[in-house]
Amino acid sequence: MEQRGQGWTQERIVFALAVVLFIVAALGLRGFADPNNLIAIVRSVSVLGILALGMAVVIIGRGIDLSQVSVMAMSGAWYLQMLNDGRPEGMALLTVLAFVVFIGLANGFLVAYGDVPPIFATLASGAVVYGLVRSQFIGSETVPLPPGHWLEALGRMRLVTVPVEVFLFAGASLLIFLFLRYTTWGRYTYLMGDNFQAARTIGIPVRPMNLLRYVISALLAFAAGLLTASNLFSINTRVITSTLLYDIILVVVIGGIGLSGGKGGVRNVVGGALLIGIMLNAMTILDISNIYQNLIKAIILLAAIIIDSLMNPRDEQTAQQGDI
Amino acid sequence: MTAIIDMRKVTKAYRGVAAVKAVDFTLEQGEIHALLGENGAGKSTLTKIMAGVVEATSGEMLHRGQPARFLTPNEALNAGIAMVFQETSLVPSMTVAQNIYLGEEKFLNRLRGVYIAAQQFLQSLNFNVDPAAPVASLGAAKRQMVEIARAVHHKADVIIFDEPTATLTPEEKRHFFALMKRLQASGVSIIFITHALEEALGHADRITILRDGELVATGKASEFDRAKVVQAMVGRALTQQIYRKRNAAHLRKRGAKVLSVQDISMGNMVRNNSFSIYDGQITGVFGLIGSGRTETFKIISGVYKRDFVRGGDIELDGRPVRYNVPRQAIKDRIAYVTEDRKSEGLFENLSIAENFFSGLVAAGLQESSIVSLREMRSLSEQWSERLKVRAINSRAKAVELSGGNQQKVVIGKGLVQRPRLVIFDEPTRGVDVGAIAEIHQLINDLADEGLAVVVISSYLPEIMNLSDRILVFRQGRVVEEFSPVNATEEKIMYAAVH
Repeated sequence: MEQRGQGWTQERIVFALAVVLFIVAALGLRGFADPNNLIAIVRSVSVLGILALGMAVVIIGRGIDLSQVSVMAMSGAWYLQMLNDGRPEGMALLTVLAFVVFIGLANGFLVAYGDVPPIFATLASGAVVYGLVRSQFIGSETVPLPPGHWLEALGRMRLVTVPVEVFLFAGASLLIFLFLRYTTWGRYTYLMGDNFQAARTIGIPVRPMNLLRYVISALLAFAAGLLTASNLFSINTRVITSTLLYDIILVVVIGGIGLSGGKGGVRNVVGGALLIGIMLNAMTILDISNIYQNLIKAIILLAAIIIDSLMNPRDEQTAQQGDI
Repeated sequence: MTAIIDMRKVTKAYRGVAAVKAVDFTLEQGEIHALLGENGAGKSTLTKIMAGVVEATSGEMLHRGQPARFLTPNEALNAGIAMVFQETSLVPSMTVAQNIYLGEEKFLNRLRGVYIAAQQFLQSLNFNVDPAAPVASLGAAKRQMVEIARAVHHKADVIIFDEPTATLTPEEKRHFFALMKRLQASGVSIIFITHALEEALGHADRITILRDGELVATGKASEFDRAKVVQAMVGRALTQQIYRKRNAAHLRKRGAKVLSVQDISMGNMVRNNSFSIYDGQITGVFGLIGSGRTETFKIISGVYKRDFVRGGDIELDGRPVRYNVPRQAIKDRIAYVTEDRKSEGLFENLSIAENFFSGLVAAGLQESSIVSLREMRSLSEQWSERLKVRAINSRAKAVELSGGNQQKVVIGKGLVQRPRLVIFDEPTRGVDVGAIAEIHQLINDLADEGLAVVVISSYLPEIMNLSDRILVFRQGRVVEEFSPVNATEEKIMYAAVH
């Protein structure tokens, strides 16, 4: 039996891979090692990283949130739509926040009290969110940011030449790190991910914890939506049909957070996000077209999931029927 | 006579600990061979190797003189070796007939034909079981009959029975032994594992006794008597000390009534069950599988919910309680230590320290609202020492520990919650002899400190040794209460079966 802290853990392999990839790209690709490009790499994974933090909180406690991208795009789009319609800022923000929290609660409720497997509950709720907001609240597929809004300023903001979203990703990582590591609810998350029945028997409030995790995921999705708007000055709801959702899961799994729950933490998300960022950037510099990038990402995701299920086999006895 | 199975220097080790050590065992053609030994002596493991359920770590096995190595139970079955398990291996949602013919259905499967064939077959065995009944609806004894019928049906010429009579009534037992004789007459060789010495002495041709994974005696049944068997089985002084008999002077007096249970019911498993639990003593609970003992205490600790209508009453210190989740019971300082540590006890991938700490944070008893690693470490050191958990360090994962140490961690997880009522469900299942003594000592200490303690066990010597009073469960309720002074194993078993 290997002791912890020795040998090739998945985390170290990912870190080593990222370093190797970084060195190869820096030596072999013109313009890769340029400081501006390096900043661009981190910037490019900020939104993805924030989404992956939310996904990680859900997966560590045993579950999955497939409604994330839908919540991100539709909450952001609705918010912008209300601003465009001339609603006051505070009201728009509060309305959308309440909506997002409600989606998180609904996901958690379906999983905790309805015993619906998370993968189906969130798949369906994501579709409902899209359909509801698209048909009732927003007028077109793409909703622009009203000129002069604070998100525009945020998107242009630089701190010591570094775009502010890098700091926002870092800040979100710190918050989730503190949550998982230093709060009792963070401990509960790991315990219920490792053995749900044992966690329940020992007196952990497993059902409220389920609600909390999906609410955190939904709130982070909303934050990612606002950040997207500040970058692109609009929100295109077609992002829902993109590969973003698979990218999120790729970041989480490749970072070493087992899909069976109870393992990993924020550093795995950061590691996974950086590895994916370096890889995508290198592929872009190499001028590999988008369709091939998607194929490559998909193959890596498939490989990562296979390796994950070999390294963290799902335990027949402690797994609940139908989870993930 | 010729040997049909000949095992030579067979060893099976789990995680480096040998369950069976270099055992030589022969089964002769057409004999009835009894395999005796205490819990954890390696009887089940040895026979599981023959039946292809587990693979031997070393050693070889000859089947009809040919070297044989069965990787799956199916391979063994095809070679004519069938095993009837202690824990039933039937499919509960299927009917009796479907279970008997499981795995050999024709491509076009006519249920009617299967039922008629099963009916005739069961009658030929003298088993009174309805072939159309779903297995889930049967009691333990009838399930056992279906298991036996299935093995016989497969025309096996070696049949291994793992504690076949534990759940049978005396009448059913007579039928069973008559069947065994008939099978023998038709040329089948039989191994049966048992706790009951009289059965072995009365019905076997030969007897083999295992102790701590080693073969200590083997020979013709006529060469053994009860004293000789007991001496071979028990052997060491330690074992005698663990399971010594209590006398009246050592019984603890009951303290205040902690828990009063009136007529609680849950579906078919728990029916109008009533009893009380007192401070400062150990209440032993005995019952066979399916007697509702675990279910009853899971209701008390909030894991299960009793029936909403006519579910009965539970009073804790005279205050009526109804728990929807275990958390409420934990807040009322009731701890349930599970019988199934793998699926509902341990956090296997987390460290020993994190396991101990989980009990504390779950009960909200930690010193500060910010999780402190220092507190976790000191808690773990304190409890590892108190419970004598042996591990390389407290960062070792729980899954890497031996069964005994895992059990201690599960117990510790409950005790850090400072309970006043502790329910131990099978506290020494799958635990080595040394750890059993330590766990028993701990349970006794808890009662001496004044806690109300419940010990559920299906091992009679454990019940007899630990309990200050004994409750016997049958068909979902307490049917009899004994004092360990005037109870005998026979009396308790009789109450549990009839």
